[in-house]
Amino acid sequence: MFEPIILKNINVPDSFKIETYLNNGGYQAFKKALKLNTDTIIQMVKDSGLRGRGGAGFSTGLKWSFIPKDPTIPKYLCCNADEGEPGTYKDRAIIEKDPHQLIEGMAIACYAIGAANAYIYIRGEFALGADRLEDAIREAYSKGYLGKNILGSNFSLNIYVHRGAGAYICGEETALLESLEGRRALPRIKPPFPAQVGLFGKPTVINNVETLACVPHIINRGASWFASIGPAKSPGPKLFGVSGHVNKPGLYELPMGTPLREIIYTYAGGIKGDRRLKAVIPGGVSAPMLIEKDLDTPMDFDSLAAKGTMLGSGAVVVMDERTCIVKAALIIHEFFHHESCGKCTPCREGLDWIVKVMRRVEHGEGKEGDIDLLLKLCGDVFGRTFCPLGDGAVMALRGAINNFKEEFEYHVKNKRCMVNGAGR
Amino acid sequence: MATVKINGKEITVEDGTLILEAAKGAGFDIPTMCYHARLSKLASCRVCLVEIVGQKKLQPSCVTPVMHGMEVLTESPVVKSARSSMIELLLANHPLDCPVCDKGGECELQDVTFKFGPRNSPFGERKRRFHEEDYILSPVIIQNINRCIQCKRCVRICDEVVGASVLGSIERGAKTGETSFVKEYLDCDHCGNCIEVCPVGSLMSRPYRYQSRPWDLKGVDTVCTYCGTGCQLTVQARNGEILRVISKPDKGINNETLCARGRFGYSFINSHERFVTPMIRKGGTLEPVPWNEALKAIKDGLTEAMKDGRKTGGIASGRLSNEELYLFQKLMRGVFKTNNIDSGSRWNTGAVKSFANVMELNKGGISVYDALNADTLFIIGSSISDENPITDYLIRRLSRNKKMNIIIASPRGLKLDSSATLSLRHRPAAEGDILGGIAKVIYDKNMDKLKDLTGKEHLKNISRENIPDLTWTDWSSIESVSGFMLSANSITIAVGNDVLRGPSRIESMHILAEALRLLGKDVKLFPVFDRANQRGAWEMGVHPDILPGYSFRDGDGLGSEGIIDAASRGEVGALYVVGEDIVSDFPDGGFVREALRQVKFLIVQDIFLTETAKMAHVVLPGASFVEKDGTFTNQEGRVQRLRKFIEPQGDAKADWEIIASIGEAVEPSFHYGSVSDIFKEIKGAVPMYRGIDFEGLDGNGAIVKGSGIGGQGAGVVAGFSLRPKSEVRSQEQETPDPEYPFILITGNHLYHSGRLSLKADTLRDILPEAVVEMNEEDAKAMGVSKGDKVKVKGDRYEATLTAHINKRSVRGVVFIPENFTDVPVNMFFTKGKGFPRVKVLPLSSLSPQGRGPG
Repeated sequence: MFEPIILKNINVPDSFKIETYLNNGGYQAFKKALKLNTDTIIQMVKDSGLRGRGGAGFSTGLKWSFIPKDPTIPKYLCCNADEGEPGTYKDRAIIEKDPHQLIEGMAIACYAIGAANAYIYIRGEFALGADRLEDAIREAYSKGYLGKNILGSNFSLNIYVHRGAGAYICGEETALLESLEGRRALPRIKPPFPAQVGLFGKPTVINNVETLACVPHIINRGASWFASIGPAKSPGPKLFGVSGHVNKPGLYELPMGTPLREIIYTYAGGIKGDRRLKAVIPGGVSAPMLIEKDLDTPMDFDSLAAKGTMLGSGAVVVMDERTCIVKAALIIHEFFHHESCGKCTPCREGLDWIVKVMRRVEHGEGKEGDIDLLLKLCGDVFGRTFCPLGDGAVMALRGAINNFKEEFEYHVKNKRCMVNGAGR
Repeated sequence: MATVKINGKEITVEDGTLILEAAKGAGFDIPTMCYHARLSKLASCRVCLVEIVGQKKLQPSCVTPVMHGMEVLTESPVVKSARSSMIELLLANHPLDCPVCDKGGECELQDVTFKFGPRNSPFGERKRRFHEEDYILSPVIIQNINRCIQCKRCVRICDEVVGASVLGSIERGAKTGETSFVKEYLDCDHCGNCIEVCPVGSLMSRPYRYQSRPWDLKGVDTVCTYCGTGCQLTVQARNGEILRVISKPDKGINNETLCARGRFGYSFINSHERFVTPMIRKGGTLEPVPWNEALKAIKDGLTEAMKDGRKTGGIASGRLSNEELYLFQKLMRGVFKTNNIDSGSRWNTGAVKSFANVMELNKGGISVYDALNADTLFIIGSSISDENPITDYLIRRLSRNKKMNIIIASPRGLKLDSSATLSLRHRPAAEGDILGGIAKVIYDKNMDKLKDLTGKEHLKNISRENIPDLTWTDWSSIESVSGFMLSANSITIAVGNDVLRGPSRIESMHILAEALRLLGKDVKLFPVFDRANQRGAWEMGVHPDILPGYSFRDGDGLGSEGIIDAASRGEVGALYVVGEDIVSDFPDGGFVREALRQVKFLIVQDIFLTETAKMAHVVLPGASFVEKDGTFTNQEGRVQRLRKFIEPQGDAKADWEIIASIGEAVEPSFHYGSVSDIFKEIKGAVPMYRGIDFEGLDGNGAIVKGSGIGGQGAGVVAGFSLRPKSEVRSQEQETPDPEYPFILITGNHLYHSGRLSLKADTLRDILPEAVVEMNEEDAKAMGVSKGDKVKVKGDRYEATLTAHINKRSVRGVVFIPENFTDVPVNMFFTKGKGFPRVKVLPLSSLSPQGRGPG
């Protein structure tokens, strides 16, 4: 059994309080980091092999190293806590149960990149999380882990919590910056990348909650320890949020690279009622679904990419044999259609067209050629959108059609589901 | 430089060139929808996607710069298919109601579809509809959001150029719509630039709605005659009826932008109120006569009126062409043998001479783009956002992504304040003291380097102690401005003609410029005029002491005020007024009316029967700006062509023809056949114009060069008084009267210019009646809210007006535009006394509590 690292304390009573955190070795990594050279810290994070847990899997240390060293330029850290991918609830657990772990990770990151101000952009619906963070930040100030001249190190840091207003697009890092600056959340043109021109036009690092929560552990236990967990190219512990037709849905912390089968059958207790698995979304609804024959795929960035899908946020959504894939695909697509920001043509118009066709297919009004039309539209959108939202939407749909084409065709031809008992 | 291959063709371009531009240079047309050269980049329509060899994803060519060695494909099968599918997606929800869409025939979506788009589409779903009926956004804008393709050009131009920021998006995703706030909050410039940049028929012009198809219109590129900015515009007509004015991206300093006046202020041309035959006063009424009779009456009238050695005089408008103004002064000086001439009647004639001198107008023109290429821009003496809207737009646009400090000094709050680093609010007529204060700080800090500063003795009268009284501005603000100037390498001082309304210490301008130059700064002086050809009027010599080409003299000729004074004493036999309504303009309405009654023979030439024309013995119908040829010189010193497009209405004639025929009636050798003949003569008389090729003037015009006339070098003419003989101080500077707590200032409104714009229906719809603008705190103290009726009362006139609130204006000042016939603001003024003091009386008897929400 893997010894939890990030979730180590979440079941301890009052885990969100600073006393609990300090009693369990909290803020030791920050103290240690303050004595280290910032380049050393960045190198450690690079060496640890930590890759962004928001979904893109970019090397965190490398991202930090892009920030200019000039001390006269203000820099910012933004924590992306706009956890909105359906099926995902990993960051929420950290925020609500162990907020100091995040704050410590942020403090180390800010020290490393030279940021004196950091923002936590938290999903608006996370009211409890925002309160817990506010409280935790207050505690950290009072204990001297935030504020001016922290622990006599000459390093000062303020952290602010900013609540979102309910748009999935704010999880896209540049849209997040726009929203944080008070504008309509639309993604920005890259380049320039946020590391050069980010928040308020200044160099900015944007990291996911889980990513930042890994940082104190890397400082405490060393880069090579971290790198030794899981596959060499994407190491470390990973939170998997398992949901759907399993006996024990929940959040599991396992080494990267744990096979999907093990997650579903060993940890999540297998499929309810011992039914057969039909499809599984490995990393949040943007990730194309996998089927039974793919279950031995190791759950890490590269192995899933090789299968044409992605690790994403590590949200595992399990669907059993009774699931109508057409309906599932429609529900997923409705989400993207609803959340498209409307900035670029293919996402705004493409997803709107797709949803219209999908609805009629699902509701037994499909026409001959609709499946080909859907695939054509997926092709029109894919790779041409401004940001990855549209890509995610059509990848998910294309994955469903490619794996279950006969079900879609059945819907068109017979005006009903192929699966008995679907919809339950 | 970067060498790239586009569709196999090698081309070398500047580093950083966008693929879109490089491809255009190589001869390949990439369609775009959201791209606009002068707006921020969006890259959202994805129509311009291209293939870069070696890159997996297609890239938007409108934001991707070329890199050396890059290979770009703009016509590959994958690009063509992506392009056509983007157009297909844009069309999916587009209503395709082209037959009833005003944009049909000049629609960018139609054009790209025709050229690149799919020929058919499987789309068969219900289209998105936001609303069934088109939606009125303002008196000039009507919207159909169903047609919108989300390019956001309208939002960007409103925000980045116009600065009104009244457009924005609502909802998101497929439901996104571009619109404005609810009507009540629509604080819009009514400039219609959103209409101009809209690629489809989403934002449409209300006056042009359902009027014509673009291919049925004939048009001419000409110059706007409303203000000194000198925008290029295209007037379009069908069957001789002017139907709209548009701007063109590749024409003029204004490119695609125009203001409300330029874009919607044309309908006076076809106004039925124009008088179109000469008229002679017979038995108390003006009666139509043929031209020969009118000319004979003029010849006889002049002879009669000038008996007994009475004076003659002439006042011409700063909105006539150079040719007309040149001919006018030549007629007055050569035929009528008088130097009693002036342009306009609002200003102190002596101050004009000093202004022209200290602003170094004889140095030649300066492009607004050069003027705005400065570290610090200081704007004073102009309500620039209202009087010169496009200059305001240019400043906002060009300063947007640039390190440039904009400092504004003005009694009124201006829209441009939001782009300014620092805004000073000062008491009216204190411009000279402000400039002097700045010069004083700079002098005190650099005394060693400024030992030889000419005019430094003038600075003695300005001190930290008296600045607050003189200017209502504190010394520290003056110091801040000085700081911005001292830290800059290049400084542009833009001075508007408001300094002529209450002139004081005009020499300070020169002292400040000289001090900065002695400190090694690059100083540019940029005049800002509210009349389109004010600069031309002076360059042509329409001033008693300025001969053509800024040849200054100290003669005994009278300016407007002198002429009106003399008239009041019965000394003026004949007065010739062209295009100027002095009864409405001269700052003492009662006095000028009385004075004109004493003039034996008054000739007025205009296109409407103005208050002045109504008093005339002979009125002559001139032509509107589209009915005649000529040139205008804008505030930059840029000479641009005015082009005749339609024949003058009725018996009306081009003003130059009328002036020439009056001359010829008296002196047969005074004969001119064409505008180009006159221009040829101007080139001889005014060396600044020598290099200008009349026939060759295109959309960019040509900027006049320095004169170097009569052995005088360009620049300030030494030994010549920098300060007018008499300066008009405002009344309040004597003893403030608690009975009349406000100083009344005047000028042009954003939607009106002079009196002509009142005859344009659309502009009158936007602002039908005069308003009084006051500071928010002042209004609050009186319980006055926006839209309330108030009575403004001076010692000799009172008027009831609608209150407007300007949050940023200085307290203790009210502003009434000078454009309205029913509220002749000049009636408040007393000749020689400067800005009048008034009180404001709220008309509502309701207590503030009983009032509805403001």
